[in-house]
Amino acid sequence: MALANETLAAIRYGYGLRPGETAPRDAAGLLAQLEAGRTAKLRFPREGVAGRRETATRIISLRAAESKATKEGKPNEAIRRQTQREAQRIYRQDAMARLAQAVYSPLGFHERLATFWTDHFSTSAMKSLPMRMVVPLYEAEAVRPNMAGTFARLLKAAILHPAMLIYLDQDQSIGPDSVAAQKSGRGLNENLGRELLELHTLGAGSGYTQADVRAAALILTGLSVDNRALQVVYKPRFAEGGAITLLGQDYDGDEGEGQDHMLMLEDLAAHPKTAGHICRKLVSHFVDDTPPEELVTPMLEAWTRTSGNLTDVYRAMLEHPRAWSDPGRKIKQPFDFVASGLRAFGLPETSLTDLSRDMDQADVDDGAVDKAMKMASDMAGAVAGQVTGQGAGQMEGDAALTGAPAIGGETVANEAKRRGGRANSLTLGALQRMRQPIWQPPSPAGFADQASVWLSPSQLTERISWSRNMAKAYGQTIEPLPLLDAALADAAGPETRKIIGQAPNKLHGITMVLASPEFNRR
Amino acid sequence: MTDQESLLLSRRGFLAGACCAAAAPVLAPVSFAAMPGDNRFVTIILRGAMDGLDLVQPYGDPAFAALRPKLGRMPDTGLLDLDGFFGLNPAAAPLMPLWQARELSFVHAVSTPYRNQRSHFDGQDILETGGNDKSQKTGWLNRTLAVIPQSGRRTAIDINASMDLILTGPNRVASWSSQSNFALAEDELAFLERLYAQDAPFAEALAEARSTDISADSLYSDGKRGGGIADMARLAGGMLKGDYRIASFSINGWDTHVGQQAQFRKAVADLSTAIVTLKDSLGAEAWGKTVVLAMTEFGRTARENGTGGTDHGTGGLAVLAGGAATGGKVLGQWPGLAPDSLLDQRDLMPTGDVREVAAAMLYQQFGISPGNLTTKVFPGLSFDKSSIYLRA
Repeated sequence: MALANETLAAIRYGYGLRPGETAPRDAAGLLAQLEAGRTAKLRFPREGVAGRRETATRIISLRAAESKATKEGKPNEAIRRQTQREAQRIYRQDAMARLAQAVYSPLGFHERLATFWTDHFSTSAMKSLPMRMVVPLYEAEAVRPNMAGTFARLLKAAILHPAMLIYLDQDQSIGPDSVAAQKSGRGLNENLGRELLELHTLGAGSGYTQADVRAAALILTGLSVDNRALQVVYKPRFAEGGAITLLGQDYDGDEGEGQDHMLMLEDLAAHPKTAGHICRKLVSHFVDDTPPEELVTPMLEAWTRTSGNLTDVYRAMLEHPRAWSDPGRKIKQPFDFVASGLRAFGLPETSLTDLSRDMDQADVDDGAVDKAMKMASDMAGAVAGQVTGQGAGQMEGDAALTGAPAIGGETVANEAKRRGGRANSLTLGALQRMRQPIWQPPSPAGFADQASVWLSPSQLTERISWSRNMAKAYGQTIEPLPLLDAALADAAGPETRKIIGQAPNKLHGITMVLASPEFNRR
Repeated sequence: MTDQESLLLSRRGFLAGACCAAAAPVLAPVSFAAMPGDNRFVTIILRGAMDGLDLVQPYGDPAFAALRPKLGRMPDTGLLDLDGFFGLNPAAAPLMPLWQARELSFVHAVSTPYRNQRSHFDGQDILETGGNDKSQKTGWLNRTLAVIPQSGRRTAIDINASMDLILTGPNRVASWSSQSNFALAEDELAFLERLYAQDAPFAEALAEARSTDISADSLYSDGKRGGGIADMARLAGGMLKGDYRIASFSINGWDTHVGQQAQFRKAVADLSTAIVTLKDSLGAEAWGKTVVLAMTEFGRTARENGTGGTDHGTGGLAVLAGGAATGGKVLGQWPGLAPDSLLDQRDLMPTGDVREVAAAMLYQQFGISPGNLTTKVFPGLSFDKSSIYLRA
């Protein structure tokens, strides 16, 4: 099956078709997005990078002060609760903004690359409370600005960010012979050293040894985080002295300077195994789980020729005919599935901000809702029991969409809760259920990418269920076949078109557009 | 519990909840009970084209047995005899007590004005918008709200939470959903199987999901579907027992092209559950003032197809239930099943307009004038006080 270039570009290299948006038709069009992406509006962190640094350091300082007070026997539960709640809300709003970014940015390839690299250099917002606020910042200031230059530059920006150092415990790692170790008895943590070789650069099974892992970890000692300022700092007292050998290369241990790790990162970026690892990973992400070597070869040549300039590497992939043929071998990851579904409906940006606000509202009104619920259940008869019956409401999760009838203690606050639940079930809650919560990869290896992982019975069930919720939420003014055209254009097979046209009801017709194999493949 | 008591209860809950006054009329309970507007009306849309010839089988028609060798029954093979000519599908046995109590009727050979195309989407649009064609853009039940005398005192509710066109329009309608998770109807599952038949990994994943019913929120469980329908009907009944007078919801699962017997049994069980639950949750007094109208976009072919099912047809069947419905009758003008009596030699010939059934019920329940019914609610419909559905 050959697709129109615009269709393939939108589906394989972007977040899918969106009515009113023109997809690029060739490599040049896709690459132009990288330049445009530099200055394009980024929807998170919600307060901007500088604003986020202020918010985060304020909350972190508050918590540090509270911890100190607790140690002195003067705990302040209110501050603990309030800061926890605030960090959680900031994370949720940023996660919604990240979804909106994928849905509303016309620079789909740029956005997909941001997701690819954020996942390649995985960090998790679940690591600690501060990380809820730091991980979005990390994507915004370390990953996104550096994905069109050299790999070495991106590598250094990602590794040398507080998010990475916190996530992989570098701030806990101390050279065994360092000054600090001799006093504290603490020691080396190999976490970042190992993942640096295995995941970020050379790749698993590329020939390095356990001694190399340890050597990388030793070279990284001294790197730490000033938690209050959210800055990477070099602490000579943590650094391992003396010469360290990694992959046959000596790093002198120029104590106090803190330059060895920079040299190491440059050497690892330049290593041929790294080029092979990264190029294959790009191709298996965008094109096929088993990367066609015909596609990888010109990318490796570009990498060598330009010392790892990523734009040239992307170009080598995109200019190859194989990059534009044989679609449908990958299954969209859940985030991509949800983002492309929201795009297909052509919803205005206010739709997502409304959902985000509904979630904020449900959160703000928590206390009132609980009280109202209690009152309702105390007072109500059988009818009210049905009306206020809680349940996770994941499948239906419908709020009162119009009107707020007042039967059996149903209250405004209760409605806020319903609306919040509905908004959640269409967005973040759905991603949670599909096992791809935003900025929460299951391990430093990131989310699984193989097609087979995302086509299990439970995954399919969740996707059908979400599709139905979408049909209920946004399907009133849309017909199934026009939606199919908007979502898939010529990627919709004739049989799919026929079956959807015959659906026994519109709700199911719309559901089937999103649940179709064509919409889930890319 | 009397209406007044239930109203008091809900009013107290309402005040305690300090909710918006706009949502319900503030009336003294006693005047509410005395109001001349105690009647209720519920529509149930049977989506997917319900096979009326299977639900109410014309076993007395000489052509029936030959047209329906697999699906047709006789009273001695399980059919529940209604009047010596028609019999009820045994899957609807829970409805027999209503028939016997004269709280259930059927109207055979009715349809909307929609002809020839047999598309579910268009058929349902016309059923819900109530015009002669697709020119109407709002739902007829929504337009009804504007022409009910004293309509400011009555409210309507869409139990499906906003998807149903029939209640969509300029007039205020509350929209609710029961919180139950909902399973897919059998015909919807059959469509998914067809959709995935072209893609083996998808087909396998769906087959496995269905057979293992994997998660707590599974889409595929019959039990969950039954529970969901009951919850929906209970919610509607509860609302109607309180301040609401009009409610609407849908039951999917009627598009039975293949293996109709098993699929139809489940869909009929859903419909029976809905009606019986409505009656139970309304209570005797409110049920006595209620009419439930279940209707579908069109009927199905008179003749069984080669896969144990039936295909899209024309003349269909409407169901009337409730204490305010004239029960115990199969209404309508029976066209017969002889080859020349069928439409295009394939479909039950429609001899009545299903909109007229609805109009008669709106006239009876709310006193809406025939003039309003034939211009504002159902533009283009012929209806007056001599309608056979009123004399019934």
